[in-house]
Amino acid sequence: MSSQPCHRSGSRLRISLVILLLLWSLAPMLWQLYSSLRTPESLLAGLAGLGGGWTLINYTAVLQANPPFWRYLLNSSVVGALSTLLTLALAIPCAYSLSRRGGLLKVVVGGGLLAAAVFPYVLLFLALLQVARQLGLANNLLALCLPYAGLSLPLAVLLLQAAFADMPVELEENAILERFTLWQRLRWILLPLMAPSVVSTGLLVFLFSWNEFPIALTWLSRSELQTLAPAMARIAGSSVFTVPFGPFAAATVLGSLPLLALLLIFQRQIVAGLTQGAIKG
Amino acid sequence: MSILLMAPALLLLLAVFLWPIVHYAWLSLQAQSVFTGLKPVPVGLANWERLLGDGRFWQDAVQTLRFALVSVGLELLLGLAIALLLHQSWRGRGLVRSLTLLPWALPTTVMALGWRWILNDPNGPINGFLELLGLPSLPFLASTQLAWLAVVLADTWKTTPFVALLLLAGMQMIPADLYEAFALEGGRPMQGLLRITLPLLRPYIFIALVFRLAQALGVFDLVTVLTGGGPASSTESLALYAYLNAMRFLDFGYSATLMLGTFVLLLAAALALVLAQRWRRASA
Amino acid sequence: MKGTIAPGPGPTQNTGLRLAQLSRRIGGRMVLAGIDLAVKPGECVALLGPSGCGKSTILRLIAGLDSPDGGSILLAGRDITALAPGRREVAMVFQSYALYPHLSVERNLSLGMELRGVSRQRRQQEADRVLDMLQLGNFRDRKPSELSGGQRQRVALARALLRRPQVFLLDEPMSNLDAQLREELRPQLREILCAGEAPVVYVTHDQQEAMGVADRIGVLQGGILQQCGTPQELYNSPANVVVASFIGRPQINLLELGDGSLVGIRPEHLHPVKEGGLPVRVLNREWHGANQQLTVSSRHGQLRWTTGAAQPINDQLRLGWQAEHEHRFDQATGQRRNA
Repeated sequence: MSSQPCHRSGSRLRISLVILLLLWSLAPMLWQLYSSLRTPESLLAGLAGLGGGWTLINYTAVLQANPPFWRYLLNSSVVGALSTLLTLALAIPCAYSLSRRGGLLKVVVGGGLLAAAVFPYVLLFLALLQVARQLGLANNLLALCLPYAGLSLPLAVLLLQAAFADMPVELEENAILERFTLWQRLRWILLPLMAPSVVSTGLLVFLFSWNEFPIALTWLSRSELQTLAPAMARIAGSSVFTVPFGPFAAATVLGSLPLLALLLIFQRQIVAGLTQGAIKG
Repeated sequence: MSILLMAPALLLLLAVFLWPIVHYAWLSLQAQSVFTGLKPVPVGLANWERLLGDGRFWQDAVQTLRFALVSVGLELLLGLAIALLLHQSWRGRGLVRSLTLLPWALPTTVMALGWRWILNDPNGPINGFLELLGLPSLPFLASTQLAWLAVVLADTWKTTPFVALLLLAGMQMIPADLYEAFALEGGRPMQGLLRITLPLLRPYIFIALVFRLAQALGVFDLVTVLTGGGPASSTESLALYAYLNAMRFLDFGYSATLMLGTFVLLLAAALALVLAQRWRRASA
Repeated sequence: MKGTIAPGPGPTQNTGLRLAQLSRRIGGRMVLAGIDLAVKPGECVALLGPSGCGKSTILRLIAGLDSPDGGSILLAGRDITALAPGRREVAMVFQSYALYPHLSVERNLSLGMELRGVSRQRRQQEADRVLDMLQLGNFRDRKPSELSGGQRQRVALARALLRRPQVFLLDEPMSNLDAQLREELRPQLREILCAGEAPVVYVTHDQQEAMGVADRIGVLQGGILQQCGTPQELYNSPANVVVASFIGRPQINLLELGDGSLVGIRPEHLHPVKEGGLPVRVLNREWHGANQQLTVSSRHGQLRWTTGAAQPINDQLRLGWQAEHEHRFDQATGQRRNA
């Protein structure tokens, strides 16, 4: 956009807006961090109790609960990793195939995927739960990756299809002439060149499975199997403390740390994945 | 051969998306609850008649719609503002952009727990701030008038970054020379926003609208953990009501009906949007 | 029907490439309408024609990247019309070179061999052989993005040569290079291509390139092979108006005689005569160092004339030509008429 006529006041305005933005985005989390380190009394005292009252008992309470908090993080990580692998394994061939053809099938499938990507999947939980119970998949952590992969497929296929379409056709044609099989073309030529898109897509799938709530809630009733999202709901519904907010805050902080780390390490890829999804959508 | 490549993915998709809808259609015509010993018993359209006369369902529909419209509206406005801010290049922009994504990356249920504390009456920081200003504290989560605003706040906080990123992507597709030509002809930045940016962003705004509206109408995670649907079901969403019917009341037949009903309302909303878009384009 | 072996007019060759009645229709348009072509081993045939004439399609059909609607392709005695592209032992240099951007030059060359199970020692040997042949030894560890256009072309050639293919296909390999580089590389390319034993099919829209590199040239237009012969044959005895117009620069002059025939005279074959000939007036002059290209007006319209002597504009003079330089064509069909 054209530059401001009065540069200094423009940038001062911008700085204050940026600070406002950062406050809005980070304050709630920072408050959790603060609260998690405070004793219950100091939390109740409001601003008056600002002096002393620092403690780690909230964290010990949460980490020594039954089951301990890190268990949920572990469960979420396992399910997340498995879902991501399964989704990619299914989405890559499907996206490849879709990108190489045209015609009616592509339009129909593409449209269907788009509709599925937008659909609020929570409405599906009952049917999926009944299937799980019938097949004996309830309380099976690994089985959770099946619906997760299914729910992540639309977005994954759409993103990867666009990535495949960006690959120069002649590159693959030359590989075909050199007698590369489909698997060899994917493994040695296409996927390495598409690596950023694959990583972005994988990250988005991983984030989804960490965030997923209704299916995990209904499929996992045993507390030591629960992933992070339903565990938080359980914590919200029960507490031995009269003032539960310290432990609540500790749980929030611990629950946020892994994803925070992921976001900071992979910020470029995550942003790229979202942006690509927006453009291709 | 290529069909073979697509088959596993398509099968899983059909199983996860299509089959439940079909199953619901069947289940909505059954009664399956504690009263039937948890066995399905065909009852024709009885569930649907009950739905049409169910005050709680329609009340929830209104509440959900209200929440969705206000929330999405706010997200679009804030998202646009944030996108404008991040569109210009300045030092540290990348880091700020990543930090603004933090709310979106955190699981909804995790932060919902945090919001319970922040909005707490009287000890939470927001009320503490009001107290500082000499204002009375507000019972955000205990008041039937204010609770839904609390949900709006939490939802807006979480999903605005997503909308902002979407709009930012759209802005970055607009060639810079459009603005330069406009400035040369004496246009001011504010006018540039209205005349160039907004019209060219229209497809992205539409996408954001459709996406977010669909998600918001199905809101579940946030409401379950933040308010539990209360107080007095004032923040109960359609999805939550359907969930309660299945898991708490064990009335599976009716739950399926509710979910299908919500789906129908969703389709109606989508259709309304598409028609509005067409009508707007025709009259433009 | 795909894969039918059309009975050829002569005995099938044991080696070399043979296209018989090859046809291809794309989107309702007849891109190729029955192409017959034979290329001997070690021979280089250039397919010349304007864009969209189907020459790249022929390459793709030979390679197997596209399937013909009719006709057959024989290579080294085998009918490969229905054979998968990977099994045809065809190597192709694409217009964009299609080098694998994430691999080094050496890896670009050796990956194919590795995946076919060739031993490490053998791979090294072969890679060294072609790297030396094309003077790429110093670049073996570089990535394609670190190479110049000419170097990338050589890597693409090396990769194709490595495979010792049954037929060598090149799709406008010089079109991404600037004019000077093209002139430098032309003789080198000819040397490399003609040194091998495989037939070479070379597609280009640049007639100078075709004339410089190829043993024979096939002029394609409208999906039909208008004529196939040595550059001299095409220049001295064009089979029809299309070929006559395409070969030779500046373009041949075509004069209507009014009796249903056209006379073709090349600009370089006109010379001033004292009497007889055609009265003309010089309109325009382009000076090109060794010669000048002039536009003159006559009762047959505007003509092109190339001469070495200095020639002022606006001069009026008479131009004539020798009978052996005259070409006659039927005006309706465009075909050559032998007097």
